[in-house]
Amino acid sequence: MPFPNRASSSLNSIIHPTDLPAPMPGRLRQTPLKNPDRPYLAIGLEGSANKFGAGVIKHLEDGSTSVLSNVRHTYITPPGEGFQPRDTALHHREWALKVINECLDKANVSMHDVDCICFTKGPGMGAPLQSVALIARTLSLLFNKPLIGVNHCVGHIEMGRDVTGAQNPVVLYVSGGNTQVIAYSRQCYRIFGETLDIAVGNCLDRFARVIDLSNDPAPGYNIEQEAKKGKRLLPLPYATKGMDVSFSGILTAVEAYTFDKRFRKDGQPKDANDQDIITPADLCFSLQETIYAMLVEITERAMAHIGSKEILIVGGVGCNERLQEMMRIMAEEREGKVFAMDERFCIDNGIMIAQAGLLSFRMGFETPLAKSTTTQRFRTDEVHVSWRA
Amino acid sequence: MESYQLLHFPPHLSCVHAALYTNVSDSDSLRKRLVAASTAEGPAGERERDAVNFSFIEARLITSVKHLRTAVYQAVLAETQGALRTKTVHSEIIWALNPTNNISEAMRRYGVSDTSTALVVVRVCGPDLSTETVERDMDAVVKGTKVPFTELQQLTDWAAVKKYHKLGGEAAIRDAKDDIEHEHAIVDGIVVSSVAMKSVSG
Amino acid sequence: MTSASLDLILASTLISQGAEAKVYKAKLSSDPSDSEILLKHRFRKGYRHPTLDGSLTRARVAGEARALLKCLRAGVNVPGVRMVDAAEGVLGIEWIHGQSVRKLLPGGAGEDEDASGDSEPEAADALREYDIPVDALMQLIGQEIAKMHLADVIHGDLTTSNMMLRHPSSFKSRHPTLSTELVLIDFGLSFHSSLVEDKAVDLYVLERAFSSTHPDSEPLFASVLRAYEQRMGKDWAAIGRRLEDVRMRGRKRSMVG
Repeated sequence: MPFPNRASSSLNSIIHPTDLPAPMPGRLRQTPLKNPDRPYLAIGLEGSANKFGAGVIKHLEDGSTSVLSNVRHTYITPPGEGFQPRDTALHHREWALKVINECLDKANVSMHDVDCICFTKGPGMGAPLQSVALIARTLSLLFNKPLIGVNHCVGHIEMGRDVTGAQNPVVLYVSGGNTQVIAYSRQCYRIFGETLDIAVGNCLDRFARVIDLSNDPAPGYNIEQEAKKGKRLLPLPYATKGMDVSFSGILTAVEAYTFDKRFRKDGQPKDANDQDIITPADLCFSLQETIYAMLVEITERAMAHIGSKEILIVGGVGCNERLQEMMRIMAEEREGKVFAMDERFCIDNGIMIAQAGLLSFRMGFETPLAKSTTTQRFRTDEVHVSWRA
Repeated sequence: MESYQLLHFPPHLSCVHAALYTNVSDSDSLRKRLVAASTAEGPAGERERDAVNFSFIEARLITSVKHLRTAVYQAVLAETQGALRTKTVHSEIIWALNPTNNISEAMRRYGVSDTSTALVVVRVCGPDLSTETVERDMDAVVKGTKVPFTELQQLTDWAAVKKYHKLGGEAAIRDAKDDIEHEHAIVDGIVVSSVAMKSVSG
Repeated sequence: MTSASLDLILASTLISQGAEAKVYKAKLSSDPSDSEILLKHRFRKGYRHPTLDGSLTRARVAGEARALLKCLRAGVNVPGVRMVDAAEGVLGIEWIHGQSVRKLLPGGAGEDEDASGDSEPEAADALREYDIPVDALMQLIGQEIAKMHLADVIHGDLTTSNMMLRHPSSFKSRHPTLSTELVLIDFGLSFHSSLVEDKAVDLYVLERAFSSTHPDSEPLFASVLRAYEQRMGKDWAAIGRRLEDVRMRGRKRSMVG
């Protein structure tokens, strides 16, 4: 049974504060995951968006984990362009062998050594997901290895927990496709709050295109650099609604400033008298200040409701230093702690798929070939987190 | 006269003295005196302004002591923030009582008018001014019978209050229509809250 | 420069602290006959740009005060507004003497970790003090929410913790058989909407809160809905249908990755 209670889980998908148990100091239940009797190896393949990644992870007898390799290649489009599903799938197919070989070489293992092949089942873009699932299936048949379909979001969370050592954090998952505040409860990663429209990363990427920022290494990274030069905070809608956030109105509003007569595309005043101007840097600054404040706010609300003092930030936008800084200030005000990661693990990668996949494999879970399909919609709270108490 | 302290305001705004007068017979001359005092020049003008340095409020529009005190609190708060919309904290109290932002309308409705027969008189000051002095000064300005604030209930013109606050069609009032005492409590609740939040009523 | 409202807070008693605000019990004047009020202080958030923080705080204090006044005018039982200092993020409201509905129902008293399992007799005792049968309490809940929705106010955080019963000793009832009154509190997440969807979600959130806090809550919530339906009249049909939909899908739609 890959995802038990799927029929009923949509009913349970709403998370209200009172659903979450109060923190239970001294009542940590025994984890159902036993230490392995021998070392386990898993390879993970990820390609739900514009990165193709492969990684090998090892679980040791003492319960520790070791990342043997983590290789990634990113499909970068010209400025002003986003990545299309068809071209992205093509990119993944072209790079798969190179990346997988490099990943095995770096780990110094062969495909015969691995215990299972983990791949991203969803959520993500259809064509890229399918191309990677096809690669996984082929490898599975070639080497006679079991397949494990993994929820991309759970991959981020499990890798984050492993890398940072956070015990039971409130998770802020922020990427190009997802924006969720998540808290663990009763073998489920429950979604506490989320975006009501587009993802935060999508908002940033699309604005980067509006002002023609480079997509290399990532549009969000370039917005962050540009924002450091911004001075002027322009009013934008601040769209939190209870536990949820919304970004589409903000995107429209920040775009509208580029048609303002005070907007200077080159960031320079026309002459000495040209003081009242709006620069692309100002817009990046205002956009970041507004949307990150919203994210920190709903994260804090989740912390207050479940009584947690730990925050884990995962997903590509989690690399953003201003977001991390704001989250740290919030955490300090609450005497809490932020766990953030660098780009190796924040940005989509294969190793996180291997980590989450191996955890469920060790709990006896496998994805039969006939069910190794992909799905663009796959909610975080649909996964039965069997390996946690 | 009733006196109380606003504990958290600067000393010069920390004492509030209020009295209720009925059978006021000189409201037309009092009103004229206030108008004249506001423009009088020289030391005589200063003295005259000092003599009438009170808030004179139309008592029939006050629904309760809480109503009055809420207006006083918000007016003094505005003064500490340098956010007065009118010239003095005393005129600000009258502004705070009126539901709209129109200053002359506030003075016309809630200030002393030629036909006023009952007035609430308020003085906001520091502890340097003794209660006796304030009371003596009040009595010197108003010709009327000083009565305890418990009399306020008999004076309130509920129809006028409802009209100014546009409460006629509200569900809360419809629900309470069979019980006059209850209706008055509901109206008072709405009026007090309206005064308290006037600064953000948008 | 110090501010009068911050001085007021310093002199007040801290009751609780949430993510958004600290809550205090305070007195505005020296007069012993002046009743106590509840102060809600939306304190400064260091992570937010000061300009953004200031405008947001002002807007939220104003929004909460406006929602309360709107409810009062619509005859919904809510705390009255007592003072507003939007610049400092302070909202003063009427202090409600009484008990939260959560603590009066089975299961809700065990909120604290150290509470023993036998909370039900406690809840029953407490209800007896308020002299109200459970079913009558459910009807009050349904009625107040309906009145609020008829005024197009969406609470945004309906739970049994955000409803109180006035203590009979502090309340003069006009009702022959009722000695208390239900008061809706905490409008910090409220907003204005006439949409059927928002009203249905408001109800759904309460239903979830009931089921996760109070054991065997189905008949309780059914009773709440009956009273709600009665009060809403013709508006109920569409909201009831939407509530069914919301139950099926959960509050959130499925999302593309």
